[in-house]
Amino acid sequence: MTSKIKYCACATVMALVAMVSCNNDNCMGNSTGIPLAAFFNNDKKVTISNLTVYGIGAPNDSTIINNTNANQVYLPLRITQTSCQYVLNYNTEGIENDTLTFNYDIIPYFESRECGAMYNFKITSWEHTYNAIDSVRIPDPMITNSDVVTINIYMR
Amino acid sequence: MRTKRLYTIVACLMATLIAITAVAQEQQRKVTPVKPNTNKTLTPPKGTPEKIINEYLSGDTAQARAQERKDSLAKIYPHYPKLTEFSLGLNFGDLLMTAFGQKYTSVDLNATLNMWNRFQPVLVMGLGRAKDTPQDMNFTYTGKLSPYFKLGANYNFLFKNEPRYQLYAGARLGFSAFKYDITNVNIDNPYWGEYGNSYEMKGVSSTALWGEFLAGLKVGIAGNWSLGWEVKFHGIFKEKKNENGKPWYIPGYGTRNGNWAFGISLYYTIPLNHDRWPVKEEKGKNKQVKSNDQIAPPIR
Repeated sequence: MTSKIKYCACATVMALVAMVSCNNDNCMGNSTGIPLAAFFNNDKKVTISNLTVYGIGAPNDSTIINNTNANQVYLPLRITQTSCQYVLNYNTEGIENDTLTFNYDIIPYFESRECGAMYNFKITSWEHTYNAIDSVRIPDPMITNSDVVTINIYMR
Repeated sequence: MRTKRLYTIVACLMATLIAITAVAQEQQRKVTPVKPNTNKTLTPPKGTPEKIINEYLSGDTAQARAQERKDSLAKIYPHYPKLTEFSLGLNFGDLLMTAFGQKYTSVDLNATLNMWNRFQPVLVMGLGRAKDTPQDMNFTYTGKLSPYFKLGANYNFLFKNEPRYQLYAGARLGFSAFKYDITNVNIDNPYWGEYGNSYEMKGVSSTALWGEFLAGLKVGIAGNWSLGWEVKFHGIFKEKKNENGKPWYIPGYGTRNGNWAFGISLYYTIPLNHDRWPVKEEKGKNKQVKSNDQIAPPIR
């Protein structure tokens, strides 16, 4: 009888240890919904030299990237307004800056215990100037925390 | 003249043939004598059921031998009745885990009908809840106390043994309709200088349908009480889509990250048709399971 109780207690403890150890605490995406814009030319991803990107109205005129070679850039959206604008400065003589404007809905979203609560965004419309940009395509207007390209910027 | 000689030869040949046949018949009788023992009375061994003895006496030997074969099989495969026992179990694994810091808990009652000590339909009904404010995270998750149900069956691999000891595999289909809150959300957007943004999602309703494969062990501990351990592999089949996210905790399923779960249950078992259970008979040191009314008579 006592040995039976020992076996039962042992099995219970082993089960508890297994239960405690079976946890997966990794967030595989970003901590909030954020669009990732990539630059294309004739459907090929291209790198833009000496590119500076900043948001109009960002505090202290802070930049997202500054005079950097980049083939893609994160464009964080505002969470207190449903529209925001970005300037793409090519730092090249003879090429004027381009401006991108996005209008969107803000959607509160709980992704997971590991990634937390965040905002997702649904792009409703967008505009841009045509200095170096040929067109902008957004295949899926839902912007989530997934680390994938969501905005395709086609250059001239 | 010739004809007379031919008749003589034929007559000699026939006489020779008759003589050979007679000798052969005489030799056969000597080689295989038939003993006239048909009137000998066979005594059945002690313990032979009267029904089988009567079948032999009535001349229905085919029936008696069929019964003998059935009985010898019953020795190897003891047959439990269709309704062998009924168990009520309390799964308290999650309750124990809350003592180790688990942020969710559930408790369920399961009813198991053991049929032939092999197939076991199972019905599970329980309640689950969750509350967690993870460190370094920006929310509080509250899973409101909600019910869940599971329906399934087990197959007991130790069906030849006593039902007190079971090793089984099974499957379940689970369902839960539940609500949860996401509160104390705090989101900062450093680039745009937007700090301290907050929102709440209260009473978000959801449903989930899932499946489980499990393996379990059940051991009698005292009287009609048993303890059981289960390891489960589960996956969500279908859940209600919600624009505002997915639930972290599903009552009866657990958290959505990971496919493995465990359960510990205390069972109380009520034996059914106990008089038809195979009885355990001890022969010296060797134990042998025999049926109550099935004793194989070695009549040949």
